[in-house]
Amino acid sequence: MKFPVKPLAALMAALGGLLAVSAGAQAQDKHYKVFLDMSYSGNIWQAAAANGVKALAATPPYDKQVTFKTVISGTDVQRQISDLQSMVADGADAILIYPLSPTALNRVIRQACRRHVTVFTYDSTVTEPCAYNVSSITARYGANSAQWMVNAMGGKGTVVINHGVAGTSVTKTYDAQALGVFGRYPGIRIVGEFYGNWNDATSQQAVANLLAVHPDLDAIWTVDGTYGSLQAVMKARPDRLVTIAGQSNNGYRLLMADKAMQQKGLKGLSSSSGPAVGPYAFKVMMEVLTGKLKLDRHNVEYPLPWVPYQDVKMCPGDRFESGCNVFPNGKVPPLFIDTALDGTLLPELSLASIQDGTATPGARMQALPPVKYADNLPDINCSDCKAPADAMEPNLVKPIPVPK
Amino acid sequence: MSDSAVPMEAEGGRRRMPPEILPALGVLACTGLLIGLIKLVSPGTVLLAQVSAILVSAIFLAVASFGQGLAILLGGIDLSIGVVMGLGGMMISGLTNGSNDALIWAMPATLACCAGIGLVNGLGIALIGIPPFIMTLASATSFFGVGLGLTAGAAQAPVAPGLETLMSARGLGVPWPIWLLLGFAVIAIAFQNGSVTGRRLYALGSSPGAARVAGLPIGGLTVAAYGLSGLCAGLAGVLLAGYSSAATLTMGDPFLLPTIAAVVIGGARVTGGRGIYLGTLAGALFLSTLETLITVLSLSQGLRDLIQGVIIITALIAQNRPGANPG
Amino acid sequence: MAAPSGRWRRALGGGPTAVAVLLFAAMYAVYAARTETATTVFGITNLLNDGIVLAIASAGLTLVVLAGEFDLSGVAVIAVCNCVVATISTFGDFGWLVALLAVLAIGGAAGLLNGLLVAGLGLQSLAATIGTMIAAEGVALLILSAPGGTVADVIADSLTGDIRSVVPVAAVILAGLCLAWMVLKRTRFGIALYAAGTDAAAARLSGIDVPRTKLKAFVLAGLCYGAAGYMLSAQTGTGDPRASDALLLFMYASVAIGGTSLMGGRGGAFGSIAGAGILTVMQKMLFALGVAEFYTNVFNGVIMIVALVIGNASAAVAQRMRRRAA
Repeated sequence: MKFPVKPLAALMAALGGLLAVSAGAQAQDKHYKVFLDMSYSGNIWQAAAANGVKALAATPPYDKQVTFKTVISGTDVQRQISDLQSMVADGADAILIYPLSPTALNRVIRQACRRHVTVFTYDSTVTEPCAYNVSSITARYGANSAQWMVNAMGGKGTVVINHGVAGTSVTKTYDAQALGVFGRYPGIRIVGEFYGNWNDATSQQAVANLLAVHPDLDAIWTVDGTYGSLQAVMKARPDRLVTIAGQSNNGYRLLMADKAMQQKGLKGLSSSSGPAVGPYAFKVMMEVLTGKLKLDRHNVEYPLPWVPYQDVKMCPGDRFESGCNVFPNGKVPPLFIDTALDGTLLPELSLASIQDGTATPGARMQALPPVKYADNLPDINCSDCKAPADAMEPNLVKPIPVPK
Repeated sequence: MSDSAVPMEAEGGRRRMPPEILPALGVLACTGLLIGLIKLVSPGTVLLAQVSAILVSAIFLAVASFGQGLAILLGGIDLSIGVVMGLGGMMISGLTNGSNDALIWAMPATLACCAGIGLVNGLGIALIGIPPFIMTLASATSFFGVGLGLTAGAAQAPVAPGLETLMSARGLGVPWPIWLLLGFAVIAIAFQNGSVTGRRLYALGSSPGAARVAGLPIGGLTVAAYGLSGLCAGLAGVLLAGYSSAATLTMGDPFLLPTIAAVVIGGARVTGGRGIYLGTLAGALFLSTLETLITVLSLSQGLRDLIQGVIIITALIAQNRPGANPG
Repeated sequence: MAAPSGRWRRALGGGPTAVAVLLFAAMYAVYAARTETATTVFGITNLLNDGIVLAIASAGLTLVVLAGEFDLSGVAVIAVCNCVVATISTFGDFGWLVALLAVLAIGGAAGLLNGLLVAGLGLQSLAATIGTMIAAEGVALLILSAPGGTVADVIADSLTGDIRSVVPVAAVILAGLCLAWMVLKRTRFGIALYAAGTDAAAARLSGIDVPRTKLKAFVLAGLCYGAAGYMLSAQTGTGDPRASDALLLFMYASVAIGGTSLMGGRGGAFGSIAGAGILTVMQKMLFALGVAEFYTNVFNGVIMIVALVIGNASAAVAQRMRRRAA
């Protein structure tokens, strides 16, 4: 699951630098029109992903090669269809989409492919085979995070489930994985479930209400809204915290790493899909578009961010370098999502890129390490296909035996 | 402002008060019933902690619904409340930037801006004659766009710690938000049913024609009502930002429809001229308790929605009996 | 304002509907001037397909609004119908027909429920339909827990394409919708609808059964939501249980921009269809103009108000002209 060892990565980066220079010289005259189609807006995750993409589009040599435009389609799928049509009509060479539905866009994507437009999605996926999906939805967040929690809890205790948005494929997949893992341990009791809608304020209210009903709660499983869920526990029960798994807000990572909090029982995992999948998808798409990379399969996996509380490491500068993964308090807002940066796969990005969408001064595009193809998941990233037999099992953590 | 108008309104106000208190108390009783149900479903519940948790989480809806209540009292509606809540939260965290000193000026500035959006709504409705539904919808869309353009949807600085403390600390053993809610309710009731402006709003809402004949400042009253609605939405947003220690632009959206439901369950008529804040408050508490009950039940979201919808309709039917006037 | 003269004045005096049509034409012209494909059959088919769900749904909503009531349940009913089509339309050769009948039955039943609550029990429509909306959202999630299912190809192909590469199918459906409205408007029900919305008490005095009229309006609106759900399924080829709040707001915006008074009694489905056209072409026009991404929303809001203000002004002009003629 982890990407190649460090020395190899360093070598590749150096090599990539050379390659990028020579390729830049070759492709000077070739010019590309590229669109980013965001759907939801006004949400931190989406903004961070979009800024990362914008920053890469402004990083040499793409600053000269690419005419880049962002369009916001809102939450109505018909609007997204309409905007995709407009992009194709406008002569797009490539379109990077955050799709509102895994299937509703298939028809318009087919139209685009027929006109030789390269279509990529990030984070969410589509089942249309001519599009490329770049996502961590196949990385089994639900199974891995639930197993991590079970291990951390010693296989016993009460859990509250904070689902994401009802009616989405992500929620359905992750829920099934997590419930499957929890169900294997008779000592684990699920005492409450709610739909936090990936929203911190909503999650906080719901957890506050649940704590009054279940004052002895041991753990909370979340996909997002993690910081809000933890805030509710810290306010209602400051001396006895919980085992919790979820998103990667900077404030949450700082709390997880805090020794005083750990002594009060906080065991945190920071994982879930990161906004860096957006810029990563852009990078893959540009390599495919410029002919540097040929993909044999259309589903690419972005590795699942995975930072248990023991692994949090402070960054002294503005980038994620040498394995650091959190910024000091005050440097970024508490809701800043740390997984918007990726030191290994996206060394071009810095804090400023994520906050303002500007290129890092002096940065050049580095070549991509080999991509990891993703599993097939029917109705999520393919239609007539089969999922691997172990698609619902954890693959990052070793399950502990069921306690007697 | 003729002399004869005021006594007439005062009389009207007094006559209207009693019949609306009864349904409000009925809704409160239903809320108690729901709390009993929670205890029944989940015997481990600590009742006092539960009530206090519900009251704290109801404050945002209760504050925002007061503004919605005023708009509905005039026979209008305010669809900008969710967006204004988000903007208020974003402003307070952006302006204070984690420092308590800045609160002194950031608080009035934020509330003034939110009231300003309400004033724009009021002016569009009163002066240009745009229907409230469209005016507030359009201004919500536009100001959301402005907020998005200014922040790009990015994460904001943490809110002032003072505001966080206010939303989590206790005074005399009771969480501060409950005191705030109590204080807000007293002021709101005093304004709506005790002040001259409040009584004039009733007069304008029940009969715009008569209000015009009586020489009431119709434009001014409309602008004031929507301005207050913006102010309350902003306040709710500020409180929500303090509660969750951080703000996002879309955090107010889940509150918009519940404000309308709270006001109507509380006994107001959307055609205007009827409704008291006690009813709205009861409606807000009812909805928050319902939300909690449904959370505790741990059902699939489909069943949750189905039950929630059915209970809201049932509450409306139960509440509709006394003094129903269809058509 | 200087007195407008001649044809311009007549158009301005044509009331909000005429203004909506003019505004649509203007926006389409801007879009077409900057986009080559805009005037091809392919481009027109796309545009009509993008707008037809909104057009049908807002035409249905118009009936309820004309009767002086609100209906917030539309989008949730559309979602239920979409899920049903995605679940049953692939069964057998006549799955498309079964699905069509099913969505009409569901839409009609939802409308009947709304109508009984509002016209029968005297509940306030704004609140009662929030209740049915939430319940319907729940039903949609019970049918499909995540986007999926398949819509029969025959539905998707026959409703989104064009006839002999000349006439888009959506255009035929829209024409049918307009025709139905023109007929409906002149029936006794149509007349009763306007009367009930203008002044319920007066309508009652003149022998109109107001609750029955409102009930019918809700049922017809429900049927339209069912049809809209069917069209949405044809467009997307799949089911999605989440109702889009955005679509609900666009429905009301279409109705208002088209000149139907939200207080009831004034306006018509024509205007709403034009309003839906404006909102659909606006997205294309803003794209063609390259409006800065984040500020698209600001334009959306401003155009809504501008359309309404011009519409209102035009209604005033029309009234003055009528008075002068009388």
